[in-house]
Amino acid sequence: MSASPSPVPPGDMRDRVLAAVRGEPVATRDQGRRRDVLVLAIGFALSVGISVYLGGPGASLPPGYTALLGAAWLLVGVVATWEGVARGRSMLGRPAVVRVLVAVLTPLALLVTAMGAALAWPETLATPATIEAHVVCVVFTMLFALGPLVAFAIVRRGSDPVAPRLTGAAIGAASGAWGALGIELHCGHASAMHVLVGHVAPVVLLTLVGVLVGDRVIALQRTP
Amino acid sequence: MQAAVLTLAGSELALVRGRSLGVPLSEADLAMERYAAGDDGAFAAVYDGVAPRLYGFLLRQTRDKARAEDVLQQTLLQIHRARSRFLPGAEVMPWAFAIARRLLVDSLRRGKREVLADDGELDPGRDAGPGADEVAQARELAVRIDRVLAKLPQSQRAAFELIKNEGLSVAEAAQVLGTTVAAVKLRAHRAYEALRAALGDVIGGLEGGES
Repeated sequence: MSASPSPVPPGDMRDRVLAAVRGEPVATRDQGRRRDVLVLAIGFALSVGISVYLGGPGASLPPGYTALLGAAWLLVGVVATWEGVARGRSMLGRPAVVRVLVAVLTPLALLVTAMGAALAWPETLATPATIEAHVVCVVFTMLFALGPLVAFAIVRRGSDPVAPRLTGAAIGAASGAWGALGIELHCGHASAMHVLVGHVAPVVLLTLVGVLVGDRVIALQRTP
Repeated sequence: MQAAVLTLAGSELALVRGRSLGVPLSEADLAMERYAAGDDGAFAAVYDGVAPRLYGFLLRQTRDKARAEDVLQQTLLQIHRARSRFLPGAEVMPWAFAIARRLLVDSLRRGKREVLADDGELDPGRDAGPGADEVAQARELAVRIDRVLAKLPQSQRAAFELIKNEGLSVAEAAQVLGTTVAAVKLRAHRAYEALRAALGDVIGGLEGGES
């Protein structure tokens, strides 16, 4: 069934649009890819720079624990980035449910894998952590996540006409996973409370920040 | 020469997608692919493939020619600006409808919505579609359908028109509208039921078209 045949746009519309397009040159896909790679490289280089500044891993934890958890959180970061930031095959991005899952499951996955690693080295759970240690890890998780978050936001800016807040939440969670990985390599505490407050809570916070970023940056912007 | 190579690349892409997904690329998809790959002249073909359908959609949604033209122009410029981000093998139309719908919602939120004509009918002077009125009976039916659709909530109208008028799949319409497949089915069904209630005398003959 059809309500009515499609009307034809005004005759001069085509000329006006094509003239506007000619007057506003934009990058081709190859140029855009190079730009995006550069932006992402700079964003992640910022995190690596912070890591170098902090020096070696936390001395009080077994190297095997740090390596195993680092690998697990690296995997979480890669999956969250692939599913939450990349658009797959559609210009409208992955289905909303995928982005919701990324936003919800990323902090959960970080917590579960940390607890799993701690069970393999039970002595790590007994290491007490002070409030200062919690705060330091929260701050550094945010700092480590800042570069990826800004880079993801730049790469996806103005690209989501449907659910930018959801995309922003997924981007926030993915960058949070990278932030959590960055500080985990230097952290000397593994108690459940510390992981929850110092490592997982900032990822949740970054997810909420991502909602704002989605609204302000990733949403399609009408130009004057 | 470059255009021929790009056309060939686009055709291969269509074959790849046809083989993998069973969905052939449209002319607009191929044109956008060429445009993203660097063929500046391909945007004219993108316009030709996208603009008429978008304009019809916008006109039916707004019943306001000036607003529909403004949103159409903005949508096409957004597509142009996204040239560097166009994914190989992606479809243009669902994306274009999503951009148009977002810009339309923003436009309406800015509070310049005009009051519909009392009878909810498109102003014939503003409906510039040549060939739209070839058959008087079809015209009358179209007007009646337009009138019923105009009274529906915007969400139901959009779902119905994207599926029935624009030929999008339910999944594509769900992506455009930012909701679930089940919600789109429900909205389209409610719109169809409203049409059935209002046009029961003629809709029986068209029932085979519902999917």
